[in-house]
Amino acid sequence: MKQPEKQCEHMYLPDLCGVRTVLTLVVVAELFVFVLALGTPAGSEVDRWTRLGLISLFVQWITLFSSSLLCLARRHLCRLRAPGVTLVAFAIILGTTALFSELTWWLYYRVVFHHPHAWHYDFLARNLLVATIVSGLVLRYFYVQQQWKRNLRAESESRMQALQARIRPHFLFNSMNTIASLVRTAPDTAERTVEDLADLFRAALGDERKLIPVSEELALCRRYLDIEALRLGERLQVDWSLAPLPDSARIPPLCLQPLIENAIYHGIEPRTEGGRLVVRAAADDRQVVLTVRNPLAGDGTGDGARRQGNQLALANIRERLAVHFGEAAQLRMEEEDGCFVVTLVLPATPPEETPT
Amino acid sequence: MKILIVDDEPLARSRLAALVRELPGCEVAGEAGNGIQALEQVQALEPDVVLLDIRMPGMDGIEAARHLSTLETPPAVIFTTAYDDYALAAFETCALDYLLKPIRQERLARALESCHRLTRAQLAALQEAGARGSAAAQTEARSHISARVKGGLRLVPVEDICFFHADQKYVTVGYLDGEVLIDESLKSLEKEFGDRFVRIHRNALVARARIMGLEKDRGGRCRIILRDCARRLEISRRHLPDIRRQLR
Repeated sequence: MKQPEKQCEHMYLPDLCGVRTVLTLVVVAELFVFVLALGTPAGSEVDRWTRLGLISLFVQWITLFSSSLLCLARRHLCRLRAPGVTLVAFAIILGTTALFSELTWWLYYRVVFHHPHAWHYDFLARNLLVATIVSGLVLRYFYVQQQWKRNLRAESESRMQALQARIRPHFLFNSMNTIASLVRTAPDTAERTVEDLADLFRAALGDERKLIPVSEELALCRRYLDIEALRLGERLQVDWSLAPLPDSARIPPLCLQPLIENAIYHGIEPRTEGGRLVVRAAADDRQVVLTVRNPLAGDGTGDGARRQGNQLALANIRERLAVHFGEAAQLRMEEEDGCFVVTLVLPATPPEETPT
Repeated sequence: MKILIVDDEPLARSRLAALVRELPGCEVAGEAGNGIQALEQVQALEPDVVLLDIRMPGMDGIEAARHLSTLETPPAVIFTTAYDDYALAAFETCALDYLLKPIRQERLARALESCHRLTRAQLAALQEAGARGSAAAQTEARSHISARVKGGLRLVPVEDICFFHADQKYVTVGYLDGEVLIDESLKSLEKEFGDRFVRIHRNALVARARIMGLEKDRGGRCRIILRDCARRLEISRRHLPDIRRQLR
């Protein structure tokens, strides 16, 4: 039973083979029967209780029969999209209703009361109409409930991804390992590295909607690169070329750092001989331009995979830039004589800061 | 017990070496910074156990382990990693042991006590499983082919290979510096390197990028001309249209 469930995640109908779901359906159907029985004046030919019993019998038969059919059809329904599932569910419910209406009419009016023609088609039509309305409501309820569950899950996943886009777990654990090694041999460096790591995580776990000065982000990047330099040794060379930046320039925290992290992960680490990373900052009155340049991996391994791994962090950065600066900020990527260059353009003065 | 430490990060190596030295009966035979160095060191130093990092430049740990397994007396292998989502999933599916960095000493001691050689089937499955779920830079195909030759292991970079030609029992690998025999099937090679090599005959695969043209021999059979390769392999009638299409 577990296997089909797994592939069936997109389907909005709950598992109608389960005891709980069936019990819920039966209770709902019974409540509906109460409404029907209470809604009509009593005392014509049978009293209210008999009427309630008869309608219950009729409605529960339809409910149980159609839900077992849906349970049996579940594996096939999984292959359909939502409209298809709805259509099939309607067909099953209405078919069942028609079948039981005919049976009831035949038993009740012909065998018991010998009324050969009493309201045959009227009876059938009314039942089908009621079944359509009620099953429509129930299906809609299932659909909305599943959408709600899915949104909830997507939201928690995207939060997790947003955090991972800012600090890769890969980096965290490697840094821990570096520190573990330094504690024995160079306690001072180990101490400094712990401080650097703490600063980075404070920024990563802080309020990502707040803007910080670009110079502060550059300082974070330096801390990050100090840690990576310990790990990669001679394989990592960094060139900084920083022009004076306007004090007003702001950036969402950890927008540049993931770009540098990507550059190391994809451009330096896979190369046996390592490489040179260039971080440049330039500014004029209108904008601040930050670029990160790294050599291409060279051996050509996993080019497609490389981009895939990038996407997450890049999408996250783009989104945050767009929230704060709209069109005024840009994130560009290009390949240029054997190098991969990422350019981040920010407005020199951020638009009116919203009062906090 | 002689132990070889393989990791691309010097600090990671030195910590591991310190841990190993503190264990009774264990000594550090040597250190290597990537997969290729590891293979050289294993042949030179003949360690009992290799502590092998997974993510390394050049040749990663999983591929290095595959090549090691073709040695006559391969050492036992214990993989180490700091964080590799996809690789860990692959390890679980293949029921292999691994150490997570920073490695605890007692965990290392336990792994060294119970370590054993990995089988080739395990490693092939591992590489495949790892590649399937991989978002990192690893690919399913190896970067090198290893052949056992007199006096050790010869590594042939896949980009240097011109053709694979199956004889009775072995497959001949023709590459820039000559030919070697390997004990693998053409079918599995085709599966692994399908994007680089194309089948031209029941018994041959050739590098797509090296195809220069076709020629007819005296018997009227079609043969393929490969860049930097003297041997002209026969193209079967069944594969001819396919090759012609590629040449166009």
